[in-house]
Amino acid sequence: MPYHEFECSTCIPERKQHAVVKGPGETITDALPLGYLNTIPGTISERGCAYCGAKHVIGTPMKDVIHISHGPVGCTYDTWQTKRYISDNDNFQLKYTFATDMKEKNIVFGAEKLLKQNMIEAFKAFPNIKRMTIYQTCASALIGDDIDAIAQEVMDEVPGVDIFVCNSPGFAGPSQSGGHHKINIAWVNNKVGTVEPKITSDYVINYVGEYNIQGDQEVMIDYFKRMGIQVLSTFTGNGSYDDLRAMHGAKLNVLECARSAEYICNELRVRYGIPRLDIDGFGFEPLSASLRKIGLFFGIEDRAQAIIDEETARWKPELDWYKERLQGKRVCLWPGGSKLWHWANVIHEEMGVEVVSLYTKFGHQGDMEKGIARCEEGALAIDDPNELEGLEAMYTLKPDCIFTGKRPGEVAKKIRVPYLNAHAYHNGPYKGYEGWVRFARDIYNAIYSPTHDLCVLDISKDEIPTGYGFKTQRMLSDVNLDETVRNSTEMRRYTGKYDSVSGLRERDYPYMDAQAKPAAVAATESV
Amino acid sequence: MNPSIEEKVEMMLDYILKKCLWQFHSRAWDRERQNQGVLSKTSELLCEEPVKTDTPEDRCYWVDAVCLVDAYRQRFPWLASMGKGEIKELMALLKEKLDFVTITGSLNAELTDQHY
Repeated sequence: MPYHEFECSTCIPERKQHAVVKGPGETITDALPLGYLNTIPGTISERGCAYCGAKHVIGTPMKDVIHISHGPVGCTYDTWQTKRYISDNDNFQLKYTFATDMKEKNIVFGAEKLLKQNMIEAFKAFPNIKRMTIYQTCASALIGDDIDAIAQEVMDEVPGVDIFVCNSPGFAGPSQSGGHHKINIAWVNNKVGTVEPKITSDYVINYVGEYNIQGDQEVMIDYFKRMGIQVLSTFTGNGSYDDLRAMHGAKLNVLECARSAEYICNELRVRYGIPRLDIDGFGFEPLSASLRKIGLFFGIEDRAQAIIDEETARWKPELDWYKERLQGKRVCLWPGGSKLWHWANVIHEEMGVEVVSLYTKFGHQGDMEKGIARCEEGALAIDDPNELEGLEAMYTLKPDCIFTGKRPGEVAKKIRVPYLNAHAYHNGPYKGYEGWVRFARDIYNAIYSPTHDLCVLDISKDEIPTGYGFKTQRMLSDVNLDETVRNSTEMRRYTGKYDSVSGLRERDYPYMDAQAKPAAVAATESV
Repeated sequence: MNPSIEEKVEMMLDYILKKCLWQFHSRAWDRERQNQGVLSKTSELLCEEPVKTDTPEDRCYWVDAVCLVDAYRQRFPWLASMGKGEIKELMALLKEKLDFVTITGSLNAELTDQHY
């Protein structure tokens, strides 16, 4: 597995050890990109900072909390429309963002008074919200404001409030991943164990490393509730602050994004003896195996199997429709950390696409081990790529679509490579059986959009064809399909609703209801 | 055609690397614990021996082992014709290879970090 040197980076020789090509018969013991290291000067990395990793990735998805950044207002730019971790309380945490708006005078004279004033003002503005998280930034860390002391003062003065302080300034790590680590450890050190949970089921889990991107968490919670499982807390998407203080009461930690949240799972295992079960919520086969494992753990695997059978029967014909049309399409898998490995194998197996490259800006070598192990031979794996390397990879590999964030995604569009938002999704949720079909539909729409045929033409010099009309997606995607596939009555396009999440909030859960009732009441009703 | 034991190990290893996550915990000592925990129970299940499931940790290894055994039996019909001794030998070789790929031969510099 040789290292790959980008032509654009020959002037930065250290970059060579950050990219490899998976060769025939080679394994992750032959070569592995370096990872989670300080960005090499001159490479113009596209990473986020440790503050961003703590607040914008992990802290802010908590839904019933005033999230306040103690720093310049620009630090808290990630809000409505840039993040899509929705919640079932009318998206409070997305609609309202708070910063102390530190200025030069605060750097000189200190900003503790400013912080306290902002905190009290925020609690008064939202009297129903009694929980707050404060995020240190580079500015407040460098001047040494004692945020913990101010938080304690406010807790003493304002009745009924609880405050969490996260000291993860932007410089506290090579990338956002440093912030993931810091907030995990701070939460388990300071908040877990401070509330006793109300247990209503024999089967109790924490769902960890799940951020409810466009409703992912709610889709998975629906499956868990259908199995009669009480989800004590979700770390942190659509999660409640006080539920997360009670994480120690669970019997199992079900871990989705190990990159951002394995730390708290590991600590909960060491401190409270709660085992960690890593799962995949993406893709029919991995998701089915995951549900089955959770069912087996609690001895209710029959309930898991019932969901697997029902959902597979409902959605598999639709997934297959897209798979037939996506066969052999070349994709670059350029997401954040965990989707690198969650998707690397399953999009190949269940959608038929070829992963020609994978990259991560902030993943560790462990993520690359998983990603490279799961992808097919020939894939180019890149750690912390810069924009020029991304462009060179696209020109060389000629992908049909890339899955990445909105910033590199817009760069891809400029060279006419379609992209899908792998972080916030285009038309998610992508988790769950239906979600996986929605993802396949988005890939199909990206690759077969008739726009591509039009936008590659330069009207100043290209001849504009006039001999045929507008080509539809179906004309483009079905041209080489067998007659039997094209006219199949088994397979069909996606038939779900535009909003596949809101309806889940209204569902009844017979197993949960039965468990929640006191034994005497249940016995009376059964007579 | 019956594959050689080396070929069988490669097929079984490929399945773990592509489909499982339990082998890739973040520290070497953790990976040793995981590989031992899941593969020992996998071997017991394949040999139809009793499996300890009375602690949460054991139960967690067991669920991964059950799913692995189901997948192996579905994909590798040659397992059905193997005796207990052969299966144990096969699983020992698989464990050795998995330990090499994920621990002793791993190039992941974070494996030796003392903290999580």
